[in-house]
Amino acid sequence: MIKGPSEEISEIKKGFQKLKYICNDQIATAVYLAKALDKPILIEGPPGVGKTELANTASLFFDKELYRLQCYEGLDESKALYEWRYGKQLLYTQILKEQLGDVLKGAKGLKESLSKLMDFEDIFFSEDFLESRPLLQSLSNRDGSVLLIDEIDKSDEEFEALLLEILSEFQVSIPELGTIKAEQRPLVFLTSNNSREIGDALKRRCLHLYIPFPDAKLERKIVKSRVPDLNQNIQKQLVSFVQGLRDLDLKKVPAISETIDWARTLILLSAEELNEDLARETLNVLLKYQQDIEVSQKEIPRLIKESTAR
Amino acid sequence: MDRVLTDFVKVLRNSNIQASPAETIDAIEVINNIGLEDKELLKRSLSLTLSKTPQEKDDFYKCFEDFFNSEMILDNSKSELPEIKNNQSIEVNSDLGNLLLKSDQAETMLAIAEAAEDANISEIKYFTQRAVFTRRILENMGVSVLEDEVRLMSGVGQDGQPSALEKELRLNLSNLREKVSDYVEKQFLLHGDVSGEHLREKIFKSLNMGQIDKSYMHEVHSLVRKMAKKLANLHSRRKKNHRKGKLDIRKTLRENWSNQGILFGLNWKYKKVDRPKIYVICDVSGSVGAYARFMLMFLFSLTEVVSKIRAFVFSSELGEVTEDFKKQQLEPAIEHALSRHGGGSTDYGQALSDFVSLCLEDIDRKTTIVILGDARNNFGPDKSNLLKLIYERSKQVYWLNPEGEYRWDTGDSVMTSYSAHCTKVMQCGTLDQLERVISTLLRTAI
Repeated sequence: MIKGPSEEISEIKKGFQKLKYICNDQIATAVYLAKALDKPILIEGPPGVGKTELANTASLFFDKELYRLQCYEGLDESKALYEWRYGKQLLYTQILKEQLGDVLKGAKGLKESLSKLMDFEDIFFSEDFLESRPLLQSLSNRDGSVLLIDEIDKSDEEFEALLLEILSEFQVSIPELGTIKAEQRPLVFLTSNNSREIGDALKRRCLHLYIPFPDAKLERKIVKSRVPDLNQNIQKQLVSFVQGLRDLDLKKVPAISETIDWARTLILLSAEELNEDLARETLNVLLKYQQDIEVSQKEIPRLIKESTAR
Repeated sequence: MDRVLTDFVKVLRNSNIQASPAETIDAIEVINNIGLEDKELLKRSLSLTLSKTPQEKDDFYKCFEDFFNSEMILDNSKSELPEIKNNQSIEVNSDLGNLLLKSDQAETMLAIAEAAEDANISEIKYFTQRAVFTRRILENMGVSVLEDEVRLMSGVGQDGQPSALEKELRLNLSNLREKVSDYVEKQFLLHGDVSGEHLREKIFKSLNMGQIDKSYMHEVHSLVRKMAKKLANLHSRRKKNHRKGKLDIRKTLRENWSNQGILFGLNWKYKKVDRPKIYVICDVSGSVGAYARFMLMFLFSLTEVVSKIRAFVFSSELGEVTEDFKKQQLEPAIEHALSRHGGGSTDYGQALSDFVSLCLEDIDRKTTIVILGDARNNFGPDKSNLLKLIYERSKQVYWLNPEGEYRWDTGDSVMTSYSAHCTKVMQCGTLDQLERVISTLLRTAI
C-alpha cells in the first residue's frame, strides 16, 4: 500500500517520539519533505532548542550513518572535503625513482623512453592517495547517510560557496579525478545560530526550518520523555517557571537543554516541590550570566507563585 | 494550479518576502508531492520552501491565510444566486442583464476578467485607484445600460410593487458590484504596491533628511538598514594574501615537485578577510538637530552590519557610543545618545581634541575616519591642526556635510579650514546621497 504524505509525516513524528525527540508537525513535515525531495534542511533557531539533536535522531530513525561536520572560522576544503596524502605521495615518487630503470629498460632514445614512461600506469592522483573528509565520506556512502553540517554560520562565506555544488547536485569536483557523484543522496541538515546572515544562494537551495522555543505543553512533553523520573507536579511547575523566565529581559534565555538539565538537577536533589529557596540555589543551572541571575532573583517569588497557581 | 501558485508568490513578493523563481519551482515540486487536500500540511510545507527568515515566516502565514481564503481552489463555491423563475413577461434586452439572469458563475467571472483586461487592471498601483478601476470594469461590462433598463422597469410592476424580474436584476446587480470590487481588490494585491512601500521608499530616498517627519522613523530605519546591509554585503568580501599564517602544504608540494620534492619555495594559505576599520564621528548638536537622528540611525545600522566600527557622538564634548548601540534597540539608543551628548552648542575643536586623546593611538594606516557634521563651530577655535594629525595617521578622512555646498563657509561654518585635511568632503543631505557616499567609502576603506 502506498502511504500518503500525512501518514508518513505522522509516522516520522511517532518514530521520533520513540527515540525521545518530541517534535511538532512543522518539524516532521520538514524531515518528510527533505527526504521526499532530496533537499537539504537549513535549521535556524535559538541555541539549545534541539537543532543538532534533530539530525542525530533522524540518523537513528532512518538507520543511516551520521557524518558530522562542525564548522568554525577558517574551515576549508582540506578539512571538510578531501585532502591528498602528501607523505605517501612523496614516498611513492621515491619508489618510482628506484623503479625507473626497470620501466625504461631497453628503450632507445629520448622519444622511446618518453612513450614508455607515458604507458606506465600512474596512480599519483588516484583514490589510493585521497584522504576523504566528512562531506566526501557522506557522499560516497552507498547505503545513504545523514550529513550534519553544524553551525554553518561560524564558517567563512567562502566555505558556503563550496557547499553550493554539494547541496544542489550532491556531487564534488576534484580537479585531478573528475566529478564524484553520490549514488544515494544523503539527508543533509545544516544548523545555524544566526550569528551571521546565511547567503541567499545557500538559503535558496535549502528548505528553511525555524525552531522556536516550544510552548509549555510541548516542553512538558519533552521534559517528560527525557527525564521520565520527575514527578508530574514538579515537572509542571518547572516548565511554567522556565517559560516565565523566558519573558524576562535576559542576556541568554534558558533553552530546552537547560530545562532538561534543571529537571535532572532537581531529581538529584530529590526535590518534592519547587519552592523559592530551591529555585534560588539552582538557578545557575538555568542561567549562564551573573547579571541574568541577578535580574531573575527578584522575580523568583512571582514566578514561583505563578507556576504553582497554574 | 501553477498559475495560482505564481499568483501567490506575487502576493508574497508584495509583502516583502523575496521568493525566487527557483524557490517557486521547489514549491511546485512540494505541491506535486503532498497534494492539495490538507490545507495545514500545505501551509507548513510551503512555508519551508518560500520563507527563509523567522520574520518572513510570520508574514508568510498571514499571506497564506489571506490568499487561500479568498482563493477558489479549495472551495468549489456553489452558486450563491437564487434560482430563476424566468416566466416574466417583460424582456431583458441588454447583454449584461441576460448574462446575470443566466447566473452562470464561470461565465460571469470570465466576463469580469475580460472587462478588467480592457480596463488595464494590471496597471493598478495604489490603493486609491481601486474605486476607479471598479467603476471602469463595470462600465466596460455595460452596467449603465442595464441600470437604465432597471429604472424603466420600476414603473411597470403591478400595484406599484417592483416586479420579480426587477428585484432579481437589482439583486444580481449588487452581487455583480461586489464581485467586481472583490476582483479588483485581489488584482490590487497582486499588482499593486500594497503597503505603498515602494512609493514611500522612493520619496524617502530623495527627500532631504531634515524634512522627514519623526513619525516615519520606523520605516526609514528599515530602509536605512536595508541600504546598510546591501553596502556591507557588497564590500565585506575582500581577502588579502598574507605573508604569514598557515603553510599551504598542498600548494607547496605541488610547486616543488619539480625540485624532486625538496621544498625550496613555501606557499602560505590565503588568510583573513580584511574587514574595514571605520571610526564614525557624528555631530548631534542643535544646528544639525534634524539630521542627527538620521545620521545616528545610519550609524546604528552600520554598527549592526559592520563589526569593526566605532561610533562617537558630540556636541561640545565627545563620547563613544559603540557599546550602547550594540546593546540597545534603535530608538532607545538614539534617544540615549541625544540626551547624553546632544543639544549643546557645537565645539568641533573640543570634539577633535577629545577624539585625539581618546583614540589617536588606535588610528593606523588601515583606519577610515568619517565625520558627519556641518562644520558650524560657533566661531570657536577650529583646531584644524588636530584634524591634520588624524589625517596623517589614518588611511583616509571623509567629511559628510548635510548642508548644500552653497552654504559652506557662510556664517560660522569653517568647512574650508577642515576640508584641507580631508580626503574628501561630500554633501550628504538625502538618503540617496548618503548611500552613494557610504558605498564609495566602503569601497576605499578596505
